[in-house]
Amino acid sequence: MKLKIWILTLLLVLASGESVRAAETLSVDIFGPGQTRVNILVLPARGVGGQAASAVARSFGEYVQGDIGFLPFLRLAYLTEVLGGDPSKGLKSDEIDFKPLQLSRIDLVMTIGGSGANIEARVYETFTRKLLVGKAYSQVDQSGVPRVADRFCAQLMRVLTGKSGFFDSTLAFSKKVSGGKELFTASALGRDLHQVTHDGGFNVSPSWSKDGRQLAYTNISDLGHRLGIWDRGSRVSRLRRFPGNIAISPTFTPDGQIAISLSLNGHPDIYLLNSDFKASQPLAPSWAISVSPSFDLSGRKMVFCSGRLGGPQIFMLDRNSGAVNRVTYDGTYNTRPSLSPDGRFVVFARLTDGGHRIFIRDLVVNQERQITFGPGSDEDPSFDPDGYFVSFASSRNGGTKIYVTTRYGDPARLIPTGPGDAMAPAWGVATALD
Amino acid sequence: MNAKRILSLMLMLGMLVAFGAGCAKKTADSMPAGATKVEISDKDTDWQKPAAPESRSLTEDEIRAQQRELAQRELGNMIFFAFDSFELTPESRNVLTSKAETLKKYSLFNIVIEGHCDERGTSEYNLALGERRAKASQQFLNQLGITNERMTIVSYGKERPLDPGHTEEAWSKNRRDEFKIQN
Repeated sequence: MKLKIWILTLLLVLASGESVRAAETLSVDIFGPGQTRVNILVLPARGVGGQAASAVARSFGEYVQGDIGFLPFLRLAYLTEVLGGDPSKGLKSDEIDFKPLQLSRIDLVMTIGGSGANIEARVYETFTRKLLVGKAYSQVDQSGVPRVADRFCAQLMRVLTGKSGFFDSTLAFSKKVSGGKELFTASALGRDLHQVTHDGGFNVSPSWSKDGRQLAYTNISDLGHRLGIWDRGSRVSRLRRFPGNIAISPTFTPDGQIAISLSLNGHPDIYLLNSDFKASQPLAPSWAISVSPSFDLSGRKMVFCSGRLGGPQIFMLDRNSGAVNRVTYDGTYNTRPSLSPDGRFVVFARLTDGGHRIFIRDLVVNQERQITFGPGSDEDPSFDPDGYFVSFASSRNGGTKIYVTTRYGDPARLIPTGPGDAMAPAWGVATALD
Repeated sequence: MNAKRILSLMLMLGMLVAFGAGCAKKTADSMPAGATKVEISDKDTDWQKPAAPESRSLTEDEIRAQQRELAQRELGNMIFFAFDSFELTPESRNVLTSKAETLKKYSLFNIVIEGHCDERGTSEYNLALGERRAKASQQFLNQLGITNERMTIVSYGKERPLDPGHTEEAWSKNRRDEFKIQN
């Protein structure tokens, strides 16, 4: 979808002398112990000069509220919670009566104005009456509204938490198509859905390069396993065969190499490939299965799944010392780990009596916690670039779909990916394809 | 199949020639349906000529296709595994032993051994497990004298379940090796 809009983003430095100084106002520590929830009220959209709001502005308000629903640190408040109803007469702070909002414990209030194809949006902190975020967008048509709403919410999240990876990322995932699976991309909210590969067979296990320019994946067909590399610039994918029978779970390291499970010595070990796709010495070799490498941002810590001690368990390799430590001890089947960018947390799938569930382990305090609760099976967990959100695939509503939760186990939200089973979500720092 | 049918038709035709038209009518009457009648009258005039080239073509592609079909039928039995296991059961070993005989008999053909898993395991680990399952069969067949060059391995993990169900009965069918003629 080619959007024919020009988004002019203007910080509204308003005549009243309000300034945008987020640092001195409300901030949300999404990584702190015990999440705080901030109440936000989105006021009904207004037109200019007493006129009714434009359809685009009203739609923008609805999309913003939908987006806020994905952010567990925000709670959408309702107008009915406010004594006396809508406390505003206009869009700016001097036209808003903040007192009833304060009494109703509303922390943030958002005003939306729109005429024609123009939208103005502001978020105020009710206790200080300060403007947190103010943006104006022009030439917005209906098809561009979701993206504009996502941009505004990205800015709001950035001001509140210092992070916005959720909105700035592109998810790649594997999706069932006739006769096999192909790779698709979409925003974290399921927008801009694109099929990016057309290889035939089964394309599984996508992994983004850190610059978001390439996707590595496994293609399975009657010809065996092949490593696929899809290039964003050329929109072309290339498939490569390796000696041995497998090419499983290719993963980009932060410095652009690919770690992949190959059976060059008769059993699946994890190898790093150089720029000519030649494998060097295996990482953390053993006689048993080793798959699913995941790296921290430094690239020096690697978690992976291995059957070296019997059933599959999670292990961590310290690439500086070469030490391999077991990470999971509970359960007999722990697979598909994802390491947080800071290297502190590992999420993984554990087989329980009710199916697979996602667990998180804090490697600093050595504590483990379940963050998804089915029903069905929850698999393929993956940290977002901020290490806050966790996407995963779940069969909780029949077919397999992609959901997102946080590392605190907040209620999972479905990411819409259209008809057909979708699985193996991977976060990339690139913005959505157009 | 075709060769047998043609042979029997030839015999019948020989009988017809020997006993003449009257006999042919009698034979036709004793047969169940008109189909036989039609076949006889159709082939009556120039029977010998088209039959010869047909049997010659059989010696080439069709015979190979027949052999391929027979070999695939004999290799069609799958072997099954326990959860998260790639160990061959005694029953699997028996099945593989007869497969080795088949492969020796049909030495022209190479095979693909497909390793499959049930849906309970996760996708990437299952891809590795499927390879181990296929490899277990390959190694066993190799010990029985089948060269590794004749055997290719593809692990599908849990991508191609035989039974889409979500019960132990379905899962036990899905944890399998399949054997397919490659060429």
